[in-house]
Amino acid sequence: MAGHLFEVDNLNIEFRRSDDKVYAVNGVSFSIGEGGTLGIVGESGSGKSVTMMSCIGLIRSNGTVKAGTAKFEGHDLLKMNRKQLEHIRGLEIGVIFQDPMTSLNPLMRIGDQIMEGMIEHHYATPRDAFDRTINLLGEMGIPEPKTRFRNYPHEFSGGMRQRIMIAMALACEPKLLIADEPTTALDVTVQMQILALLKEQQEKKNMSIAMITHDFGVATNFCDKIVVLYAGQVMEVAETKEFIRRPAHPYTIGLKNSIIEVGQRDRALKPIPGMAPTLTSPPTSCSFADRCPLVTDRCRNELPVLRQVDGNHMVACHRAEEVLNHAV
Amino acid sequence: MAVATVSTQSGAKPKRSRSQFAQAWRRYRRNYLAVGGLIWVIIFLIAGIIGPWIAPYSYSHTDFLNVNSPPTWQHIMGTDNLGHDMYSEILWSIRFALEIAFGATLVSFVIGIVLGLWAGMKGGIVDQIIMRLVDFMGAFPTFFFDLLLVVKFGRGMGPILMAIGITGWAGYARLIRGLVLSMRKGDMVEAATALGASQMHIARRYLLPNVMNQMAVSLAFGIPNDLTVMAGLSIVGMGLRPPMPSFGNLVAQAGSMMLGFPWMMYFPAGIFALTLLSYLFMADGLSEALNPRGGD
Amino acid sequence: MAILKYLIKRVVAMIIMISAVIAIGYVMMYYTPGGFFTASNIASALGPLAAQNPQLYQQILRDFQERYGLNYPLWHQILLYIWHSLTFNFGYSMQNPSIKIMTTLHTAFPISCMLAFGSIVLALIVGIPLGIIAAIKRNTWVDYTASTVAISGQAIPAFVTAALLVLLFGVVIQGVLPVNGWGGPGHQILPTPGQAVLPIVSLGLGTIGVVAKYVRNSLVDIMRQDHIRTAQAKGVRYWRIVMKHGVRNSLTAMITVIGPAFAFTIVGTIWVEQIFSIPGLGQVLSTAFTNDDFPLAITSIFILAALISIMNLLVDISYSLMDPRVKLE
Repeated sequence: MAGHLFEVDNLNIEFRRSDDKVYAVNGVSFSIGEGGTLGIVGESGSGKSVTMMSCIGLIRSNGTVKAGTAKFEGHDLLKMNRKQLEHIRGLEIGVIFQDPMTSLNPLMRIGDQIMEGMIEHHYATPRDAFDRTINLLGEMGIPEPKTRFRNYPHEFSGGMRQRIMIAMALACEPKLLIADEPTTALDVTVQMQILALLKEQQEKKNMSIAMITHDFGVATNFCDKIVVLYAGQVMEVAETKEFIRRPAHPYTIGLKNSIIEVGQRDRALKPIPGMAPTLTSPPTSCSFADRCPLVTDRCRNELPVLRQVDGNHMVACHRAEEVLNHAV
Repeated sequence: MAVATVSTQSGAKPKRSRSQFAQAWRRYRRNYLAVGGLIWVIIFLIAGIIGPWIAPYSYSHTDFLNVNSPPTWQHIMGTDNLGHDMYSEILWSIRFALEIAFGATLVSFVIGIVLGLWAGMKGGIVDQIIMRLVDFMGAFPTFFFDLLLVVKFGRGMGPILMAIGITGWAGYARLIRGLVLSMRKGDMVEAATALGASQMHIARRYLLPNVMNQMAVSLAFGIPNDLTVMAGLSIVGMGLRPPMPSFGNLVAQAGSMMLGFPWMMYFPAGIFALTLLSYLFMADGLSEALNPRGGD
Repeated sequence: MAILKYLIKRVVAMIIMISAVIAIGYVMMYYTPGGFFTASNIASALGPLAAQNPQLYQQILRDFQERYGLNYPLWHQILLYIWHSLTFNFGYSMQNPSIKIMTTLHTAFPISCMLAFGSIVLALIVGIPLGIIAAIKRNTWVDYTASTVAISGQAIPAFVTAALLVLLFGVVIQGVLPVNGWGGPGHQILPTPGQAVLPIVSLGLGTIGVVAKYVRNSLVDIMRQDHIRTAQAKGVRYWRIVMKHGVRNSLTAMITVIGPAFAFTIVGTIWVEQIFSIPGLGQVLSTAFTNDDFPLAITSIFILAALISIMNLLVDISYSLMDPRVKLE
């Protein structure tokens, strides 16, 4: 497993609240290989965004990283100061955010916003940056890039703005792209276009992508490896093919059953009952126990550790083997 | 049956409002400036109420033997060029200032409620005209209208009170109209209606507390504003007609004499500035306590 | 083209508004007991003459009425007065019938403008940095101090500040700055630099508070917005984010407070001119009111109202230039 571009190990994050603490991320580990695509899947509040954002220093002021490492090309991002992180962000790691409506500066021409990163990192001279921006806009499928360069965000549709966000994130040809729910705020047809665009760019530039999403369908379509997070813990990690064929965690099965797929009209939708918990103390038992159909006494008393069940397939569930063997 | 409903409601309601009030008070107490402001405002109110009885002299009493006297035991804040005792003048000024400021704010408030209700309920052209008027009053200094009104109706207590009152209603009208509109078609109301709550219940449970808070805050800001306008009229010679004292009169009159007799300025200007500051700190603290903006 | 249409619309609205102000003022003055407009004051002043030489008395009365247009029906007078005001033909003062109002305004108007604009500029120069510092250091003692200073500036009206400043520089530390007057022999309009300091400072303090508070709150708000996180993700340096994405956006929003702040300053000018004996419009206005010199009083109000309207128009136009989302309509 050498040649990991990005490797998170035993990450723990806490948030201070007015009278208690929230344990948002509890011992999360995963890795992304060069050119690989990792899907980070979980419900809202499962800690998936916080995990990635804290790695690049974009965590809210009341959150702190308590333990763990996040190595990018061998260097621990969590030990870097603000200056060093500023140097990595945008240049080595690009980010696309969820809501393209609010993620662009409304008072700045979009061209200037795309150029800003390149100039800031001395990636290109202003002249080259301008040419590159025009090219990028063209590549992103924005018609008449030269005139659109001078437009403001409000003059674009949501899908177009997300293309601009992607152009901005790709401006300095980063090695890793963090896509934080890039399609959640968009129409379904536009979602597909944006995902296709990302895929195309990834192949062209041999870039790695960390795709944060709550949509299991998006993850299975887009990623070659998937991490499922629940209550800030890794529930299951596997190659996408394995996930589709043999999900081993009851939570993953629940996620799979709660998505609607084309051509499955007669299949009953089975949402997972209950809500994701917010941990105000470190977990000592399975966090999913209360919602799990297969819960046993052991689940309520013993914290399941992440263990290997098959090749690269890791699961944190006491009853994973039974699930895999269709014993339950 | 009806009795039972009423009693459960009246049993539940004070508990909730008490805890809300207690929460607001806890937040308010943490703000030392606001607490200091409140204390001074209370002293000011008391001085305004009992002032005429504790004032050693009448406001028109002139002591010709002690003209332009610096502070002495006889006149603890000195006297002015006519021998008026400054301490008594200030006590009477507080009385008049309170009467005019509270009266004018009440007048503005009543006009604001009537016009706001009318605009909000009626809608259409009436609403348009009233809101235009509100915008106009907001963009244009009402002080000019105050001047014209005072010239027209004279410089007594009543005319000044009315002049300030009938030009200051714009903010209140906007507030009330907003309440009516949100009552007619707000998301929250829609949700509550969907859950089967009655109109009256919605108004009492959700809208009124919200609006009461905003009203309390805007009234708290309104009073110091009216105090300022009242004194401002005196500065241009259109305030209460002497010998009735007012802060504006005292400051304006001292303006020409203060280089020789500075105590004529120290006390009125100092007390007036302290009072306005206290009102503002109090109002500011009130708005923070009632509508907390969250942590960081 | 759109902007021209917009301008015409706004100017028409402005004229209607100002005409309304003039009309209200005129009617109120017309019906004021003892007002000059009824000519009864002239009659009483010339009382003895009425007995001695009735013919001459009637003649003088007619002359006066003609000079001030009082011989027309009321509606005609109002329209005439509005028309004359809008064409800057203000006629004669009543206190000094031989002096044209225009002559008085010639010196008073520029002085008041200097005061008002000077204090606005001061408020921007001091208030903006104060607001930025408070926002960056929010919820620290720096923020609390700046906010307290801002509220204090807003709370205390200009005339009290002015009076306290006069006490300070006239009594406590004498001779540093002049505490009254404006201009000198040979130059009526331009003040000496020292003369301008105290009036402008006392006028500006309130506006500093308004500006600082607004910049602080809007900057805190903007720094929490999503697009700031985008800029951070691009690796833009912190200070550049604060200035280029934060302050720039909050200043755009701040332009909108300049309109109301200017109106507030104009009223303050009237007061401050009293305290420092500055021969500006405010002093003209207050002498006019105390002497029942109605044409002069209404004219000064007209000038100030026009100034405020023009300022509001400029504010709206520059806001639309700074924020591409705002369309002039």
